[in-house]
Amino acid sequence: MIRLALPKGRNLTPTLAAFRAAGVPLSGLEDNGRKLWMELPGEGLGKEGERLEVLILKDKDLPLYVEYGIADLGVVGTDVLEESGAELLVPLRLTEGLSRLSLIGYPGALPEPGAQVRIATKYPRIARRLVAQRPWGAEVVELSGSIELAPMLELAEVALDIVQTGRTLKENGLTELETVTDVAPCVVVNRASFQRHRPEVNALLERMEDAGVAA
Amino acid sequence: MKISADLPQGVTALLFDTARRRRGLEARMVATLEERGFAEVVLPIVDYAEPYEPLLTPASRGELYRFVDRDGELLALRADFTPLLARLLAPSLPAGGDGHDRPAPALDLPQRLFYRGDVVRYEEERPGRQREFYQVGAELVGVAGEEAEREMLATFLTLLEAGAAPDREAATDREAAPDREAGAVPPVRVVLGLAGALDPALLAAARRGADPAALAAAVARRERGTVRRWDGDDGVLLAVVEEGVPADPDLLGEEASRRLHRLLALCDELDEEFPRVELVVDLAEFAHQVLDPALVDAAGERSYYDGLVFRAYLGHLALPAGSGGRYDSLFARLGADVPAVGFSFGLERLMADATGRRRTRPSPVAAEVEDAAELVAERGLGVGR
Repeated sequence: MIRLALPKGRNLTPTLAAFRAAGVPLSGLEDNGRKLWMELPGEGLGKEGERLEVLILKDKDLPLYVEYGIADLGVVGTDVLEESGAELLVPLRLTEGLSRLSLIGYPGALPEPGAQVRIATKYPRIARRLVAQRPWGAEVVELSGSIELAPMLELAEVALDIVQTGRTLKENGLTELETVTDVAPCVVVNRASFQRHRPEVNALLERMEDAGVAA
Repeated sequence: MKISADLPQGVTALLFDTARRRRGLEARMVATLEERGFAEVVLPIVDYAEPYEPLLTPASRGELYRFVDRDGELLALRADFTPLLARLLAPSLPAGGDGHDRPAPALDLPQRLFYRGDVVRYEEERPGRQREFYQVGAELVGVAGEEAEREMLATFLTLLEAGAAPDREAATDREAAPDREAGAVPPVRVVLGLAGALDPALLAAARRGADPAALAAAVARRERGTVRRWDGDDGVLLAVVEEGVPADPDLLGEEASRRLHRLLALCDELDEEFPRVELVVDLAEFAHQVLDPALVDAAGERSYYDGLVFRAYLGHLALPAGSGGRYDSLFARLGADVPAVGFSFGLERLMADATGRRRTRPSPVAAEVEDAAELVAERGLGVGR
């Protein structure tokens, strides 16, 4: 049995597209309502007779499930993966669902050298590492959602958050002050599962590459 | 006054049955080591910090708990046994060739030693990451070549069977899941490699413009895109990422190829001797353990190990329950010219995956939120490092 962890939210659509392009239909997932753990009869990664189960998880929780081998492999954003610090194999990045992790705020709000500011973010570890490399200091304020509100309501001078199209920023008068890193959904694999299911996992990864949905 | 039972982050008290199981595991391992001629050493948990400064990497420096004693000395809590043991033994061992002024060696070689006790390392607060954990380990000092590597690897495998296997077998016996394939206890797997084996391929990639340290990390994480970008025409790095070893070991260069052939032969030999442990040679896992000076400069640290290196994985857990290898250069850096091979086990991790089983999906087909949460709770995320 292979257990696959799929992400809720913005990465689900590119993930389903990538698996389907690689010949894994993941049938009916869109119609499964609130079901979080299911078996997909007749589906697998290529080994005859091997069952496929799917877990639907929040992005933030997914690395932990794969790291502990509760799922064998999954797809998660590189932003969440880096924040988690999970010990996982990361063989491929999907070519769709790309975004950026950026410092955002009102125009001109990028801190000057020597300044002391507050950064609001869902990514406190990444934010602390970023601040350590900058000539300005910052208090990192961890939030769980609507990060854009923090600079708007002056909870923080800047925010570190995902920017996909930039439309939300524009509608709220904010701007992308600096792109910190590019972000992509990536395939992650448990180390033990890779050794155990190496032929099927390698074959799946190759099919994704051949279909042009991951690199 | 109400007294809190809270403990600091990253430490655990073992009570009742858990304590009994941990002591039982430790006793089985110690008995096995003594049967094989290893003598126990008992080492302090507090030591000077200064002697280890040259051995620290940025990562290991960040893990140390250091403090100033009341007499002004900078001390550290024990974060590892081997450097402490090496420092204590080095003055009594044959000197290296750098002119150390030292009396005649006082210790006969070889020495077969083992230790047990807690180590303390700072870890970021994350599920499953302990800051205090209990190790049992062994060192063979003074035997060069494959003879020592074979002996220590065989001892490591024997301990795995003596330590982890009984609990796992009991778990199999208790197994009542209808889906035997899904619920079965996965094998104990030992992954073997060679420090520095990929150095020639990494150096070649560096000549093509790759950052060798970043590429080595990409190989270890099996990042196919990055590896494909910098791999040579022979595709040796991608082959290692996919299969662990290239189909033609000669692609690694003469020296690495010769070592790899011998490791594969040793693996075959031990495979028959330890049928309950799955042995896998996988060079990608140890790609970042570089020895070439140019790669060491780029990476900022030299591999702790000099040759054979191995890790034991239990069940589905991504973090190893034990690891070891040849580390001659550690003694050399402390002024003693002796070869050494050693290993250690983390007992919390050996115990964490005593069953190794994965919960099977209940019928009917779908499960609700609570079931997914139970999966995590059942796998004991509070233990292991």
